[in-house]
Amino acid sequence: MNGVLAVYRKELLTYFRSPIAYFVLAVFLLGTGYFFSYNMFMSGSASMTETFRNMGILLLTVSPLVSMRLFSAEYSGRTMELLTTLPLEPWEIVLGKFLGAVTILLLMTAGTLIDLVPLYLFGNPQTTTIVAGYIGFVLLGMACLAVGQFFSALTHNQIVAALITVPVLLSFWFIGYLQNFQASYALRSLLGYLSFALHFADFVQGLIRSEAVIFFLIVSAIALTLNASYLQWRR
Amino acid sequence: MIALESVSKRFGSKTIVHDLTFNVERGEIVGFLGPNGAGKTTTMRIIAGFTTASSGRVTVAGYDMATHNEQAARKIGYLPEHPPLYDTLEVTQYLRFVARAKGVPRSQFGSELDRVATACRLETVLEREIYKLSKGYRQRLGLAQALLGKPEVLLLDEPTAGLDPGQIQETREVIRSFGEQHAVLLSTHILPEVTLICRRVAIIHRGRLLAIDSPSGLQRASEQTNRVTLTATAPAEALRAELLPIAGVIAVAINDVPGDARVLNVECQTDAREGVEAAIARAVARRWDLHRLERQQPTLENVFLRYVSQAPSEAGAQ
Repeated sequence: MNGVLAVYRKELLTYFRSPIAYFVLAVFLLGTGYFFSYNMFMSGSASMTETFRNMGILLLTVSPLVSMRLFSAEYSGRTMELLTTLPLEPWEIVLGKFLGAVTILLLMTAGTLIDLVPLYLFGNPQTTTIVAGYIGFVLLGMACLAVGQFFSALTHNQIVAALITVPVLLSFWFIGYLQNFQASYALRSLLGYLSFALHFADFVQGLIRSEAVIFFLIVSAIALTLNASYLQWRR
Repeated sequence: MIALESVSKRFGSKTIVHDLTFNVERGEIVGFLGPNGAGKTTTMRIIAGFTTASSGRVTVAGYDMATHNEQAARKIGYLPEHPPLYDTLEVTQYLRFVARAKGVPRSQFGSELDRVATACRLETVLEREIYKLSKGYRQRLGLAQALLGKPEVLLLDEPTAGLDPGQIQETREVIRSFGEQHAVLLSTHILPEVTLICRRVAIIHRGRLLAIDSPSGLQRASEQTNRVTLTATAPAEALRAELLPIAGVIAVAINDVPGDARVLNVECQTDAREGVEAAIARAVARRWDLHRLERQQPTLENVFLRYVSQAPSEAGAQ
């Protein structure tokens, strides 16, 4: 566990000693703020539902900016040789890095809490729905970061890592919409099951379904396991 | 401490390292010598656990690298060819990360950091961002990182590359003092370095181990053919006819001295028997003027070049 902590602290230091973390936080909060005020004035109702949907899509495009450097920068900076030869197991490296990225995600999430101030000041929003939405948002973010981290381990180039991650995440998001074109029931449920958007929609509606929670956790776990096995295989 | 048993490494159809077998014991510094591209870095990486050997066995501090590289990693300090530094971090932050990853107890962080910073003369740059460091400092920070946690085995891939002469001197002192209690394997292509600090030298070329011995042992081994050079005023053909029959002379090469037609430079290949140079001196001085006669000791450089040039050329190797 010491190894995880060492890598985690190094990752956080690296994020905040370079402009990436600040840039990503700024872009995300700016985007969320825009969607929030737009939705508020359009609907006139004190709810986060529409804003959560927008935040979900925004997250798909912003999270690769957080995850792209996790391994690519180690390769191109030639520091992977240190990381591999230190007494660290592959899973410790993978987990430490993942937790570092998740911390950035939590900061992004915390930043959007400011939107709740006017909501509670001038309206009467449903707290449970908002809490469910936030839980869904964090779970979705974890899955996105885990997938992005895996692709980052496959290339020396951060930009390439991001360019692979975005379309993959978008396909997982939109795959559910293919349901409408499928006649076969099995195929329809499979597409529905794989969809980030449909699982996330449950949370946005205020539902915390164990199936959706488990889905995002499993996606993260699979991506992280692949990541650690890849590091092991690479030796 | 380090033991390699017929270790080979293949990348696709190319074999980078052929059947290497050697040991490094505690308390000795072994120099790993070879031209660029000889397989030094690959061998270092295999021992450090960055890559695995295609065949053969590597054990470090008693742990098999193929199965127990985690335990072995705790015993190894490794300075790769390019110092692995995180440019955005400050020197102290970087060293703390490595210390933490190596499992140095928290209470010893301060003393460990002080120890390696002093040994590598980093005291003045501890708060500086790594990307602002000069090449010499980067190299020494890489060395400091390897020394953290008092590893029993030190693997140093060209530790003095990029340093100025003063820094080279200091770095050698650090390595030498470490070699007293640790096993050190040090790769280099700077020959004098090896004679200065290494107890044994392994010569590697095209991935094959050509020789491993003490520097003086290598010199002795190559003394089977010596060179005697002399300068004399004499007619070339008569001189050759005089020298060749002398017992022990194998070959004679005669060159003109530029600017003086009558003076000749002569190079004789001789075998290792006693008194060859005296016999040559007598033979020449009896009939002509002998200005200079010298028996050339093989330098390590010559030894190295001899081994490398005699190595069987690899079919298909580049």
